Amino acid sequence: MTATQALFDNLLTDQTEGPVKLTLLVESARFNLRADPKDINALSKAFGSEIPSEISACARVKNREALCVGPDEWILQTPESDKQTVWDAFEKAYAKTPHSLTDISDREIAISMSGDRVLELLNIAAPTDHSSMEIGQGVRTIFDTVQVVLYREAENTFRMELWRSFLPHVWSLLNTGNAELASGY
Amino acid sequence: MSKFRIQGKGRISHQNKVRFTFDGKSYEGCKGDTIASALLANGVHLMGRSFKYHRPRGVVTAGSDEPNAIMGTRRGPGRYEPNTRATIQEIYEGLEVTSQNNWPSLKFDLMSLNDKLGMLFSAGFYYKTFMWPKSFWDKVYEPVIRRAAGLGTSPTEEDPDIYASRYHHTDVLIVGAGPAGIAAALAAAKAGASVTLVDEGAEIGGSLLSEIETTIDGHPGQKWVDEISESLKSFENLTILTRTTAIGYYHQNMVGLVQKVTDHLNELPENSPRERMWRVRAKQVVLAQGALERPLVFDGNDKPGVMLAGAAQTYLNRYGVKVGNEAIIATCHDSAWYSAFDLAEAGMTVSAILDTRKKVDSDLRNRAQSLGIDTLIGYTVTEVIGSQRVRSVRINKVENGKVGEAVRLSCDVLLMSGGWTPSLHLFSHTKGSLTWDDNLSAYLPGEKTEDVYIAGAGKGHWGIHDCLEDGIEAGNKAAEASGHRPRKTRFVVGSDRTGSGIVERELPTDLNPSKAKAFTDFQNDVTAKDIRLAVREGMRSIEHVKRYTTNGMATDQGKLSNINGLMIASDALAKTPPEVGLTTFRPPYSPTTFGAFIGYHRGDHFEATRKTPIDNWAEQNGAEFEPVAQWRRAWYFPKQGEDIHAAVRRECKATRSSLGIFDASTLGKIEVSGPDAVEFLNRMYTNPWTKLKPGRCRYGLLLGEDGYIRDDGIIGRLTEDKFHVTTTTGGAPSVLNMMEDYLQTEWPDLRVWLTSTTEQWAVVALNGPNARNVLEPFVDIDLSDEALPHMSVVECTVAGFPARLFRVSFTGELGFEINVPARHGIELWETLFNEGQKYDICPYGTETMHVLRAEKGYIIVGQDTDGTVTPDDAGMSWAIGKAKPDFVGKRSLSRPDIVADGRKQLVGLFTEDPKTVLEEGAQVIDDVNKPRPIQALGHVTSSYYSDAAGRSIALALVAGGRDRMGETLYIPMPNGTINAKVTGTVFYDPDGERLKV
Repeated sequence: MTATQALFDNLLTDQTEGPVKLTLLVESARFNLRADPKDINALSKAFGSEIPSEISACARVKNREALCVGPDEWILQTPESDKQTVWDAFEKAYAKTPHSLTDISDREIAISMSGDRVLELLNIAAPTDHSSMEIGQGVRTIFDTVQVVLYREAENTFRMELWRSFLPHVWSLLNTGNAELASGY
Repeated sequence: MSKFRIQGKGRISHQNKVRFTFDGKSYEGCKGDTIASALLANGVHLMGRSFKYHRPRGVVTAGSDEPNAIMGTRRGPGRYEPNTRATIQEIYEGLEVTSQNNWPSLKFDLMSLNDKLGMLFSAGFYYKTFMWPKSFWDKVYEPVIRRAAGLGTSPTEEDPDIYASRYHHTDVLIVGAGPAGIAAALAAAKAGASVTLVDEGAEIGGSLLSEIETTIDGHPGQKWVDEISESLKSFENLTILTRTTAIGYYHQNMVGLVQKVTDHLNELPENSPRERMWRVRAKQVVLAQGALERPLVFDGNDKPGVMLAGAAQTYLNRYGVKVGNEAIIATCHDSAWYSAFDLAEAGMTVSAILDTRKKVDSDLRNRAQSLGIDTLIGYTVTEVIGSQRVRSVRINKVENGKVGEAVRLSCDVLLMSGGWTPSLHLFSHTKGSLTWDDNLSAYLPGEKTEDVYIAGAGKGHWGIHDCLEDGIEAGNKAAEASGHRPRKTRFVVGSDRTGSGIVERELPTDLNPSKAKAFTDFQNDVTAKDIRLAVREGMRSIEHVKRYTTNGMATDQGKLSNINGLMIASDALAKTPPEVGLTTFRPPYSPTTFGAFIGYHRGDHFEATRKTPIDNWAEQNGAEFEPVAQWRRAWYFPKQGEDIHAAVRRECKATRSSLGIFDASTLGKIEVSGPDAVEFLNRMYTNPWTKLKPGRCRYGLLLGEDGYIRDDGIIGRLTEDKFHVTTTTGGAPSVLNMMEDYLQTEWPDLRVWLTSTTEQWAVVALNGPNARNVLEPFVDIDLSDEALPHMSVVECTVAGFPARLFRVSFTGELGFEINVPARHGIELWETLFNEGQKYDICPYGTETMHVLRAEKGYIIVGQDTDGTVTPDDAGMSWAIGKAKPDFVGKRSLSRPDIVADGRKQLVGLFTEDPKTVLEEGAQVIDDVNKPRPIQALGHVTSSYYSDAAGRSIALALVAGGRDRMGETLYIPMPNGTINAKVTGTVFYDPDGERLKV
């Protein structure tokens, strides 16, 4: 069993009932891309999909996703089966377009949260106003002292990605909050 | 049925009876009652004792400003709260209430002896009395004072309640849901702004809940609240939070709210929080906190049965409770006249209204007379007769400043009003300035520092019409400022109770004023003469008067006492009030539980505890853990019967003699890549990097600008342009931030980028002579010393997992650190552990790691350094690239104090008795016979028993240490001085032969 499966098994025993559906997501291939913003078109070609240049913008085409989290920083995602393709393409581009592409597939773990009270649940520990996020946007932010990347996938569906060692803390907090929402008080 | 309850009157539910106990005695109240209203309905006025004199006290107010009726409340095990305000807490079935500040009982309190000795306990008593004899302080005074001090009893059981937190964003936050707040909310909501309206009461309405005469849109105030509550429900953009106190107003319109969620319920619903702390970020804030009624200051103004006139009106109209049978009113403000009218019309005997003013509006006097109330204009109160309840009052006519003949009037309640103080606590938190208004004799909001509007009585408005109008204006402005277009809002007010009054200092008396117990601060037992004494003893600023007398320092933060205290102090100083000033209000507005602040941060949520992918295995294999930064790390793996010392000795021995396995996953990792990566590292670290070949590693030392060691770690060059940098466990975030900072601010031209990979990799460290043997079957590369020498790195697969394999060592033995993607950490660990059985593999923890590295003299940043240690101090000048033009901290290394002789240097220490293990942190001196105090040369930084060295070993930072080789130094300890000889820092395999196998 992988460490990830073991971790999930542990965490799922603490899951509480509540209005927000919380799901631990299987791993996907993730890369942290850092590069000169002026090179983003060239790198988009390597990625085979648009890499947006506006912070918090997230481009999704087929199975490629690119989120801009800072002026020179992006998070790219693909299915694991495409990982090597992406890797090779960027390696090829490096000589002309120097950049840094780092595999962070195992650094991050994702939680999907969905339900019409999802914003309330986020508000138990998220200091910024995520209600104003547009669908499709993403943002690097914090949740109760933990740095997370939050994607708004639908009106009432968010995906939260975070470093794996912080998952138990965040998961437990989310489940506590979910039970609190369920209490009606 | 209680004879003080008027059937059908008020907003309580008369049919729903609720039983609760007060000091063990059972009482009946109604749903909707507070403890105070229920006790008053039962004829109980004596609700507590004062803090200093233990004087019997009754309830004074009907709100959160209550200074006297402060009680312990309990709802079963662990759910005890001291200092609950009886005027706020609603009763529920089974609530247990106890009085405070008394022994043995509320009615008979031995500590009330303090009251008789009041002359001794004047202001400044503590400052003056306990100075002598000096030796008494520790043994007598402090313990006695500590026992007597403190309000209520601290709970001793663990609190089982849940405390919640919530962030909230809104266009307009309105604090206070009285007439101004409601009007503002309606106006702002109509404009389309998102509006949040909060009130500390159980329902919105504020003063309107006690108002039955003035009408709004044709409905009496109280009734109108029901109408407006209903129509506010139609606004989806309006959130109303009741039982919610705005406790603090912070920068950029962040307002803290505490919502009492379940304290009023009979049963606690599952998973429901007791309180919730809201952190509200509002575009605009409207403060509509209203005004607080002041007591009058006269002898005996604190006795049970003396209370505020407005409170009596509230108990009557809102709770259907007559506070007594026969009332006398004492006032200097028109408002109390209206209170008197309500009481008289409800059937209570109001024998007289005493007004200290020379003139009172004739309409008021006529109406009083028509209700059979005597009007005493230009009178003073000089004494209150009765001990546990007022029986009569002594009053005198005042003419031309002279106090005339005394008259006694009997009564069972004396209802006072010294006028109203605009409540500007939250505005004060913003550091907004206050300006003194001579007409109103009040401080009003001046210059603002935040996006805030103040509305209603808090701005000095009086009368419901004015407050509503002001509220509408504030609501419209706030909505407009947050980007919405105001609509028209209008109310028609009838029979408004407008009026005015004056501000008094202590009332004149014909009796000896030095005997008068005329209180300004009830809870802290501060009297008018205490304030005058403070001025006589040299206090000039109100801030000093406050601290000397403790006026305004009780849990109500001077809500009742500030202005009265100020008026008396300014009179004593012969200055105007604004010249004397006003004390500063600070958050929280009213007492707040620790639970509300803590929120979810308790138990498992206390803080994030980070665990490695191998943590589970360690737990299942009996590891003891220690916290390292946010991580919990396996500390040692005790076998049955082993203590830490035995386990660590065994683990050390196993590693040195054969094979140890260690979870090094927490090490910070940063991927540094780009064409300028090597230049970047040259500038950041002390060491030279240009000549390091791909596939090789080097130890890197990182300094701050000050030249002191900040962090260290092994750095491997993976390709020309890519480095795998490791940092200390605790230093990972700060090193990344420091690097990023330099890149962004100093060297934006460098084409190099950073990514944290700490958690991408799980790291298994193998150390010991058999490290290669255990690893070999799982790799298809040559692990020989020739192919992969010490300080190498190679990308390969290990046990089928993609890996970055380092040949490095923090133990002095042959060592490998295998980095694999985190998900595979545990699989790799188990594979190697199983294979390692052939070599008696031993899992070891951080303690053994510490011993093994200390035997080799490897430093731990933060243990052997303390932020003032340079590379040379640590004996690591070898790590400095001398030919490099610059690196962070380089210039500081030539500062005069850094190159001066006598700096503390890292050395080894051998105790005289090889079995003696020094204590880490112990001070080191060079001469025990020097006159004291002896300046220490330094301190012990690391100390262990070392089997490898066959004796105890220690590292220490010692002034001029390297010049003291062989010298005996002394470590003074509680049980005697330990002698130790200065030695080098490498205690094992000084030539590093074991690394090269």
